[in-house]
Amino acid sequence: MSNAIEVRNLHYRAGKTFELRDLNLTVPSGSIFGFLGPNGSGKTTTMQLCLGMRPATTGRITILGHDVPQDAPNALARTGYVPERPHLYPNLTVAESVRFHSAFYATWDERWAQELLDRFDLERSTVVSRLSKGEMGKLMMLLALAQQPELLMLDEPTDGLDPVARRDVVSAVLDYVSKSGASVFISSHLVHELERICDWVGILDKGSLVAELPMQSFKDGIKRLRVSGAPPEQQDTPFTILSRRAPETMAVGETWIVRDWNPEMAHYFETIGATLQDVVDLDLEEGFVELLTTSRAGGRQPI
Amino acid sequence: MFEEIDPRSPTPLYEQIAARIRVAVATSELNPGEPLPSVRRLASRIRINPATVVQAYRDLEKEGFVEMRHGAGTFVREVGADHRTKVRANQAMRLVGALVSDAARLGISVDEIGAAFEKVAGATR
Repeated sequence: MSNAIEVRNLHYRAGKTFELRDLNLTVPSGSIFGFLGPNGSGKTTTMQLCLGMRPATTGRITILGHDVPQDAPNALARTGYVPERPHLYPNLTVAESVRFHSAFYATWDERWAQELLDRFDLERSTVVSRLSKGEMGKLMMLLALAQQPELLMLDEPTDGLDPVARRDVVSAVLDYVSKSGASVFISSHLVHELERICDWVGILDKGSLVAELPMQSFKDGIKRLRVSGAPPEQQDTPFTILSRRAPETMAVGETWIVRDWNPEMAHYFETIGATLQDVVDLDLEEGFVELLTTSRAGGRQPI
Repeated sequence: MFEEIDPRSPTPLYEQIAARIRVAVATSELNPGEPLPSVRRLASRIRINPATVVQAYRDLEKEGFVEMRHGAGTFVREVGADHRTKVRANQAMRLVGALVSDAARLGISVDEIGAAFEKVAGATR
């Protein structure tokens, strides 16, 4: 089996305003897949659908080879989930929560759970309702990791944590991935963190996937160009123009944001009598913002 | 050693790591026979994808900088003096290249950069 998650033609509707339309998503086995999108774009809903927590209207979801929701129990037994909002019993202590959780998983590694409690500096006798946000984040990650899953579904696992807790949590995930080869599907607004750890990226906006590709291809393909002397309307470009902006004051040349770029395309500008003055690289965050701005203005086809 | 790894850079992370280790070998910061950190340790320490570390180590092995011994780890190999000089020269070119293109973007000429370089270098010589 080559994909950890496969979503095909998924359709889901909640209320009048929100829907996922014809969603296709592929998370290759062994990859760390970063799932980006603005608030309310449907990331959490997509994760919940993948875990069988909501019924899809139409479409097919396969998790680790198991159809969801039909075969959800087998998928869930092999999947570790960190939800956006923790769902622990507030009156249990940390130690009790660990024991309670362990009962659900045949693959639970108790020794490692105890080791993580120490590594995360979690006091076993603290009542869950008294945990700080950082401690809660670490406990949730511990519970997902100690079941030794083949797939980790992490819904904003580090958002809102302090930098120290965040480092501890991300390091523990990467340590686990190194030794197990598990796949990771992670959503976060901490784009620079995803840029560090992910090898695939998917961008969701208003219930539609606007990009899904390897991280490096995304970064290689999306550029800011400075162009002078180009005709106002341009058809048949070898790349896709996301936007064209008039020169800023003091600057020479228009700014073009393009995707699917490669360096050999530079000579195209000679053929239209224009000059390519500069090619500027964009990082993941800038690329993400540019892509969303255009997808909202025009509604483009996903790649 | 990997403090300056920049995930926002257009240079892929595996290439940044490989480049850093090449320079470390060329400047004897890493010596022959010395082990590199395990993939698992380095990935979790600097918080990057383990596959990225593997790719960096594989590239370094292909180029003869390190040797991956199955089950034992990755070790620095003996690298000839001419090879070391070449890596150092490449690194110097890369540093100056970045400087010159930054300057061009700000509209500062190569001559102005040269003059500033002489001044700063003169002060540290």
